[in-house]
Amino acid sequence: MQLDPSFIWTAFWQIFRAIPTTLSITVVSVLLGFAIGTVTALVRLYRVPVLSQMASAYVTFIRGTPMLTHLLLIYFGLPMLIDGLAESFGWSFRSVSIPMIGFAYISFSITAGAYMSEVVRAGMQAVDRGQVEAAHSVGMTSFQALRRISFPQALAAALPNLANSVIGMLHGSTLAFAVSVVDINAQAQIVASTNWKFFEAYLAAALIFWGLTALIERAAALIEKRVGAYNRGGVA
Amino acid sequence: MGAPFEIGYVFSFLPKLLETLGVTLLIVAGSLLTGIVAGFLVALPRMYKIPVLRTLSGLYLSFFRGTPILIQLFLFYYGLPELLKPLGFDLSRAPVLFFVILAYGLHTGAYAAEMIRASVEAVDRGQVEAAYASGMTSYRAFSRIVLPQALAIAVPVFSNLVIALLKDTSLAFTLGVMEMTGKAQTLGTLTQHFFETYIALALIYLVISFTLEKVLLAAEQRLKRHEAREEKAGRSFKLRRKGSYRAVLADIDAGKGGRL
Repeated sequence: MQLDPSFIWTAFWQIFRAIPTTLSITVVSVLLGFAIGTVTALVRLYRVPVLSQMASAYVTFIRGTPMLTHLLLIYFGLPMLIDGLAESFGWSFRSVSIPMIGFAYISFSITAGAYMSEVVRAGMQAVDRGQVEAAHSVGMTSFQALRRISFPQALAAALPNLANSVIGMLHGSTLAFAVSVVDINAQAQIVASTNWKFFEAYLAAALIFWGLTALIERAAALIEKRVGAYNRGGVA
Repeated sequence: MGAPFEIGYVFSFLPKLLETLGVTLLIVAGSLLTGIVAGFLVALPRMYKIPVLRTLSGLYLSFFRGTPILIQLFLFYYGLPELLKPLGFDLSRAPVLFFVILAYGLHTGAYAAEMIRASVEAVDRGQVEAAYASGMTSYRAFSRIVLPQALAIAVPVFSNLVIALLKDTSLAFTLGVMEMTGKAQTLGTLTQHFFETYIALALIYLVISFTLEKVLLAAEQRLKRHEAREEKAGRSFKLRRKGSYRAVLADIDAGKGGRL
């Protein structure tokens, strides 16, 4: 078997078609994960009884186990739960009607949620306590202070970590092959095995991921510069 | 899908999965070793700003951090034998584990390099200058002054690195290595009790990563014992590099309302 450089180009375009799938998994899991993570982080920061212990357990479990196990647990566990409930309550909805990509969305959002909660938490803790006190002193309610003062600053502080999480989810989306979703990785596998050119196909897939990662990094750097503007210190 | 849930299976699967724990830990240990060596080799040109090598390290870091580990695994497994064949090495009979450890090792190396660089840079420049001023050679200054301090700074990052590596090894089954996840899949297929196997699998990973985290936390505390004593004496002075916004943020003490 010889390396066939021209096939890398062919494979590149064939794999290119799977980019929307990969991106949709990434975007959905990042957005839902961010929502879950924010709630989890707030529950832990404000030490809400019971809920904060549950949140800690959730974060510990997710961060201590591989993302692949989350996907497999959801894939095999969720249908059991749904079908069990459907039977006892007489719903017509069955787990069969969940598309494969749905399992990836759900499981990766849960994974992302735990990691994002740490990102949000670190960001919130980076905000000076005096900012919230100042907000209260000008008559803001706790919620207003959170929404208008702490959260924007926390987000700015968390941005580098947030970008890392997004890249992590982009790379993690390759696991979707386990539930037969055709993302970039699975497409590479298909291209590779139909043409019997494995190295070339994976090289093309690696190049695509490399490019996407570079794009995310570039975008994050731009946003970081923009939102960090209030915090540069110095004169002018 | 599969047979109905029975909790008993979780317990009966645990010992069966633990049989393959050795393979998982072997991959972790082998890759960690490879990774630290690679990390040093990559970090040095960047720290000492050696012209061409520095660019190459940058490329290495960018590639290994910019592509998913799963793709890297396949790339090594299929690509390395082809690349080395013209050079006279025949890798077609090399064990899969070799490729797996190499891929994970070089992947870890990229993160290890950043860890090494960041922790060495986090040691105050004045410390090295003081070491030189008291007549130490550059090797001694590194081994006696910089290294112990850098080590303490690196431990939390190292801890994350090891745990991430442990979790990543769950992908080795894609190349047919019979480690814990591969074994779990086999058990699931055999008994049709997939959910139970994966619960058992998750429990094992959880216990190992939890233990690793605690052990490394204890190590960190031991390495930082000098700083702790200083703080007890009422000096809240901490070594801190002027550094970037990111470095400062990473340094913020969470418990104190984030004083900068």
